[in-house]
Amino acid sequence: MEKERMKANRPMANPARRMGGAVLPFLVHGVLLALAAIMLAPLFWLVCAAFKSPEDLFHYTFASPHPTLHNWRVLFEKEPVFRYVANSLFVSSALTLLQLLTASLAGFALAKYEFWGKRPLMTVMLATMMIPGQVLLAPTYKLINHMGLIDTYWALLLPGAVSVFGIILFRQSILQVPDDLLDAGRIDGCSEFRIYWEIILPVSRPMVGAFTLIAFMGAWNSFLWPQIVLQSRHLFTLPIALNNMVDLYSQEYGALMAGTLLSILPVAFLFALLQKEFLAGLTSGAVKG
Amino acid sequence: MSMHRETFWALQRKAAPYLFVAPFVIVFCSFMVYPLLNSIWLAFQFTNGPQSSVFVGFDNFLFMLRDPDFWTALKNTAIFTLFSVFLQLPLSLGLALLLNARWVRGRNFFRMAFFSPHLVGQVFVALLFSLIFLPHYGLLNRALHAVFGVGLDTKWLMNANLVMPALVLTSLWMYVGFNMIYFLAALQAVDRNLYEAAMVDGASRWQQFLHVTVPGIKPIAVFVIIMSTIGSFQLFELPFVLLKGPGPDNSALTIVMYLYNTGFSTGDLGYASAIGWVLVLIILTVSLAQAKVTGLWKKNV
Amino acid sequence: MSRLPFGPAPTLLIVVCVLTAAWLALAPGPDVPPDGVTRLHVLTFAQTHYDAYKVIIPEFEASHPGVHVKLELGDERAVTSRLQSAFWAGTKTPDLVEVEIGAVGMFFRGPLDEIGFTDLTDRVHETGLYDRIVQSRFAPWSSRGRIFGLPHDVHPVMLAYRRDLFEKEGVDPADLDTWDKFVAAGRRMTRDMDGDGIVDQYMIELSDSAHGDLEPLLFQRGGGYFDADGALTMDNAIAVETLAWYVPLVVGPGQIANSLGAGQILTQAMEDGFFLCLLCPDWRSAVIENDMPRLSGKMGLMPLPRAEPGGRGTSTWGGTMVGIPKQSPHPDLAWELALYLYYAPEPFEERFRNTNILPPTRDAWDLPAISEPRAYWGGQRIGDMFVSIADETPPQYTSPYTPLAKTKLGEAVLQCVDYYKHNGEEGFRDFVAQTLKEKADDIRALLERNPFL
Repeated sequence: MEKERMKANRPMANPARRMGGAVLPFLVHGVLLALAAIMLAPLFWLVCAAFKSPEDLFHYTFASPHPTLHNWRVLFEKEPVFRYVANSLFVSSALTLLQLLTASLAGFALAKYEFWGKRPLMTVMLATMMIPGQVLLAPTYKLINHMGLIDTYWALLLPGAVSVFGIILFRQSILQVPDDLLDAGRIDGCSEFRIYWEIILPVSRPMVGAFTLIAFMGAWNSFLWPQIVLQSRHLFTLPIALNNMVDLYSQEYGALMAGTLLSILPVAFLFALLQKEFLAGLTSGAVKG
Repeated sequence: MSMHRETFWALQRKAAPYLFVAPFVIVFCSFMVYPLLNSIWLAFQFTNGPQSSVFVGFDNFLFMLRDPDFWTALKNTAIFTLFSVFLQLPLSLGLALLLNARWVRGRNFFRMAFFSPHLVGQVFVALLFSLIFLPHYGLLNRALHAVFGVGLDTKWLMNANLVMPALVLTSLWMYVGFNMIYFLAALQAVDRNLYEAAMVDGASRWQQFLHVTVPGIKPIAVFVIIMSTIGSFQLFELPFVLLKGPGPDNSALTIVMYLYNTGFSTGDLGYASAIGWVLVLIILTVSLAQAKVTGLWKKNV
Repeated sequence: MSRLPFGPAPTLLIVVCVLTAAWLALAPGPDVPPDGVTRLHVLTFAQTHYDAYKVIIPEFEASHPGVHVKLELGDERAVTSRLQSAFWAGTKTPDLVEVEIGAVGMFFRGPLDEIGFTDLTDRVHETGLYDRIVQSRFAPWSSRGRIFGLPHDVHPVMLAYRRDLFEKEGVDPADLDTWDKFVAAGRRMTRDMDGDGIVDQYMIELSDSAHGDLEPLLFQRGGGYFDADGALTMDNAIAVETLAWYVPLVVGPGQIANSLGAGQILTQAMEDGFFLCLLCPDWRSAVIENDMPRLSGKMGLMPLPRAEPGGRGTSTWGGTMVGIPKQSPHPDLAWELALYLYYAPEPFEERFRNTNILPPTRDAWDLPAISEPRAYWGGQRIGDMFVSIADETPPQYTSPYTPLAKTKLGEAVLQCVDYYKHNGEEGFRDFVAQTLKEKADDIRALLERNPFL
């Protein structure tokens, strides 16, 4: 059975076949295993480092025979870690929800309605998608400064509340929803918003899942803009806080690694929750686009 | 009464799309369109933070032409992009081809193992790799020393010639699995019947790859090439945190880092905006050229 | 709402968002002082300063009822950029901020009246402080003739060395009083100790890729980035000579120096005997004590070797000022606290034991704390040693473009190291001169562009 499948996959002309059926798969699996080990080694090292004492950190390449919570104690004693985590969680979840809401609503409108200004809006949107966000840094900073919002959560939430990319993703996926389904809803007496809520959202749930993770990862890992607008320590998100710890923790690399490990966990958790939708949604935009 | 109801329904139906796009349009106009227009004005100023500015005409752009740091940044960014497109993407495709063979066991495990680094944000990767690249004590040099017996004292982050390889290695680690997912999806979407037909015609494995696989994955490949080019041109966090700045001899200075430094550490928002617009032009030109060369343009128009 | 149409993940995020928002709203934010209490916020970037101030601040609070001092430690780059941003935005700043000498220039880039720090020139003269302090130490904190910060230190430089390993090698540091002798000894002592073909004992830690270690050696010879008039001097004859001397120390057949990085890795390298000497200004001696406790008793301090017999026997490295941001609502109180932290004799002993940093006020140099023998340094009276060379400390001048000049000097180091590695002595001096000139010209182009200066 297995052999047959392999045969179907490898035509006569393949020189590898002459080496005998067992060698090539053996080789391929070996290469894959080696690569996987290389890819996972830094992460494994990170986990080990977070539980090694400063003396052991460079003494043992990977795990130390004396694991310790020293790094975590240092981290939590010296830094308001809970505050950083809460800031990161709040900003990232709020941004994700805002983007989800605005993107799905606008994507719905652009996919299923004809209205005044639709064409020019689409054109401007597509044009800005080609423009890298960095050109906006200086003028947006000036604007936020002018509004008196430097060093507030608003400075992060307002400019980040919409995602043009998200709208395009949602528009693509909502275009596939048959119009009959919406008309049936209307005949049943649904308002347009109820159609959005009870038909569109459930139907595009995979896209919602995929975009949730994309948006959350973007917000969680965001560094450049928060680095510019945040000044007070009690507003710092994890990337900003950790970057600021580098020099102060030059004798406590382990604590820094503990903080790094801590910062990776929420995204990993969300990924575990959403991986099916995410991997499908990630590529669907490209396949159709 | 019923008339009234009907007008309400007609009205809400008419108003709905406007209400649906309104939140987006308001934010979009205030925090994208307006700053974009404003940045054109800024690009012609010399500023001291957001406080004072002096109109300088085209001086920002003229100065850029003879600004060695800008050219260094452009060169570094271009080299990084070339490696992303010509080293990383072929490797991603290679991995995808390996994993696409149905007889490979544990495909899900491998897929996850290769993809997992992407979950780690650039800042966190940079913090981690700043230790992994340490001479004598870092994981990479210890591994190299253990396997090849050399390289224990390689100073990746202090040697101007090794900083770019270090950045390329790190980004390889981060993105090779991510792009592999795209290629994998594309490979799986290729019609199996085409391979069988090719086999009946006696096509070799290589010929099959050239005549069935390549055309089949082309749309996604073009998409991935363009996205990874744009992403590479925007490189910032990784070198900024990994090297705590532009690195030895500016070897890790990228366009966006230079923009950040001039705008937000020196305080010249005007020059920063000018750099931003040059970046826009470069990215547009390169993406259009790529689209044209790969034939995407023809297909879509 | 009968059901949630968007799946589990967004639902989870809604819960997270609401919970964190509630917690953040309820959590005590930047704690507000109770009524009737004046809060002074002090921000520093140096661990040793922080530790020292923490000990002596309660006494200030005791003598100033109703005043509470909040002390904060931040990463140096972050402190500077946060302050810059707060100056621009007009948001809340600390009442006292310490700024590092390499970064202060960026605050002096705009028009004089837009500088975020309070102009202290008049106060400094009225209080007689100007005459008590080594005057060259005001220079880095001045722009266009006005003083914006109080000098914290003098920062003379010596060499820290592994006393035990020197003894093992049979070398007496007193014999190494010129760089020529030091380098000759270094050539003998730099070698592979465990026979694996990799050199693992270097005479001294010097960087082959950055400006940091070259800088004090440049100052020692009377060079620098800018002169007293703000003119760029980083490509003058002294600079060429120093760089041409420095490069062969860090690369090539006569290499006696290496560098691995700062922080924990340096600690590890010193403990392993990878380096025998470190350039050591007074502040770094305390950093060494803190970071390398396991080397207690094994370290010693020796004078910086001279470039030629009779030349300058020290240099300077680093420096700190304290400034009062204009946005501070209590400038007078902040001034008082600054004087207390920096120049008051009463808390000085505590401060010196924590930081080893010599104050710029000469009248403090004969306080008893300075003369205490230090066990870490094998019983040496390191305070007296620093005092004996303090008057020789060369001046440093600052410009808005000093940070850039440092980067450019680093580039020059790297390019010259690269040249020397591949071409050796041939044409090396000319290359050094030409590289420095190119780097200096880059800065001159920027200087000309700034309409505010």
